[in-house]
Amino acid sequence: MNIVHHYSTHFHWFQLETSRKENSRVTLRLVCRNAVRSLTAEVQEVPKETRPTVRKSNAIARGQLKDFGKYAAECLPKYVQKVQITAGDELELLIVPEGVVPVLQFLKDNHNAQFANLVDIAGMDVPNRPYRFEIIYNLLSLRYNSRIRVKTYTDELTPIESCNDIYKAANWYEREIWDMYGVFFSNHPDLRRILTDYGFEGHPFRKDFPLSGYVEVRYDDEKKRVVVEPLELAQEFRKFDLSAPWEQFPNFRRALPASETVETEEKKK
Amino acid sequence: MAGVKATTGLTGLAVAKNPHHSLGVLYSKILRTLQKMPESAAYRKHTEEIIKERSQMLKANACIETVEKQIGCGQIEEVIVQAENELILARKMLNWKPWEPLLKQSPPNQWSWPPVQ
Repeated sequence: MNIVHHYSTHFHWFQLETSRKENSRVTLRLVCRNAVRSLTAEVQEVPKETRPTVRKSNAIARGQLKDFGKYAAECLPKYVQKVQITAGDELELLIVPEGVVPVLQFLKDNHNAQFANLVDIAGMDVPNRPYRFEIIYNLLSLRYNSRIRVKTYTDELTPIESCNDIYKAANWYEREIWDMYGVFFSNHPDLRRILTDYGFEGHPFRKDFPLSGYVEVRYDDEKKRVVVEPLELAQEFRKFDLSAPWEQFPNFRRALPASETVETEEKKK
Repeated sequence: MAGVKATTGLTGLAVAKNPHHSLGVLYSKILRTLQKMPESAAYRKHTEEIIKERSQMLKANACIETVEKQIGCGQIEEVIVQAENELILARKMLNWKPWEPLLKQSPPNQWSWPPVQ
């Protein structure tokens, strides 16, 4: 899995600590009303974690996230395909590619959400899926001290609607995704390369981009300048292995699922 | 000038001159926009609920500090900004119609992890 950058992990620790301390000041207001119910349901299910090196799960925070996920899915049934919780306390909305702008606008402007900050946009490439790229938006609500992740998918040719009109921060992040993965963002004001060198060709974070690149640069003593030449490599370096490097470990496939699906109203019926 | 707020303490956010009036106007505009949505839309139901709750608190109290405390969502100027955002959102929602059924299901195994071979 190639993720452009994933700074959010250590923030979650901080958030967990805070919410543990401030359980009395429950954050998401909608969730407030249901907190007691989900608390009782959760506590019975999950055995208490006693090992000192394993992160404790916070049933209240989890219940709030679940309820907010249900709320978002109920308000936007046209766009939300799935709601899940990963890593114990990270809420994810999995949406259709057409719904990027409505979902982000809802999460930013709704009274109960107010995710006014776009922390990051990341990309991910899984070549054997029909839609090989995932686009991942990490949002932060300062008002409710809460985070959410919105994921959608696309392929090499399908453009994604740019969310630059909603979050100004998206400008450079989308350029970065365009540069690294070649995902096109429609209606972006200035979609250029951002990280790679002048005249660079290709999208380096795609799984089928060779680690060595296509060209090499050296100083030419006769011409007295730096020249760019096509890479010359022995054949054995040209073998690409697209499978995950963890496949050789048996527990990779046998491990428990990393995410837990939150049942939304639609699926219950 | 005791009792008159000099600043909100937030950059770019000026003290509201007549918060009761501006909030009242915004809330009625939001409610009017929401009424154009179908009755069954969950977005309409939830938003109407919170807007009505807040406008009741606003009408019940003349003192701004009590209103702020009851709403519990920041200073009154921030509450005004939230209402402005909700109004813009509600108007856009009328075009998007998010209460309709799901556009399309994800392709099988799109969201599975570890990825299927």
